[in-house]
Amino acid sequence: MDLFNAFAISASGMSVEKTRLDVTALNIANAHSTRARDGSGFQPLQVISAARQARAFQAAFGAAGLPGGAEVVEVRTSPAPPRLVHEPNHPDADARGFVAYPGINPVREMVTLISALRAYEANVAALNAAKTMALRALDLGSNR
Amino acid sequence: MASDVVALARLALDAASLRQQAIAHNIANANTPGYVPLGVNFEQQLAFARGASGGSVPASVKPFIEPDTSGTTRVALDMEMVKLTQNTVHYQSLLKALDKRGSIIATAVNEGRR
Repeated sequence: MDLFNAFAISASGMSVEKTRLDVTALNIANAHSTRARDGSGFQPLQVISAARQARAFQAAFGAAGLPGGAEVVEVRTSPAPPRLVHEPNHPDADARGFVAYPGINPVREMVTLISALRAYEANVAALNAAKTMALRALDLGSNR
Repeated sequence: MASDVVALARLALDAASLRQQAIAHNIANANTPGYVPLGVNFEQQLAFARGASGGSVPASVKPFIEPDTSGTTRVALDMEMVKLTQNTVHYQSLLKALDKRGSIIATAVNEGRR
């Protein structure tokens, strides 16, 4: 049935927004981390997502093809410069006494968080709509 | 007996099902930069074909997904939710219409008895 593809689309959207939420939480959690695992400074991460096109039946459904949802293309380190704070007593301070904190903009992270959350909720709503439609289609002819 | 009604309802159900996918796809890509929202081309096709053939539904009418031509380059989440609700109700009313038509035939088969 066609509507099963709608389930898959909404699921892919939820997965992408979940990844965005995870990465944002990671950035906020590391807002004051001066070291990463490998000893270098922590770099804020960002999620790059793109629309996915389902290959099957593409020719049959016109130029745009059957939609395949969204997918995470990559999670990459953002090139934001570090935030330098003068703390000469910090073990990670450089020769001039500056500590490099990750260049995380808390406002931007919160906005990303909220928009990811709302988009996730919208995906859930779309999924529920598809479910209602499919269940109603199953009811066809049962009231006789 | 107008089996045209069933054919038309089936086409419209196909279109609504496809539109559900297009809307779900738009919502799934709400945060994708540079994404062009998708829409379903059906009503224009149908109006055009019915105008040409004088009422009946030609076999050439087939709903398909295409990029939204209304000039929006960004997904408006609120508008997508409105379209989603509208589409769900539309789908259910189509099913209801098909169901009622079945009831009419059932009445005829039962010679008017319930």
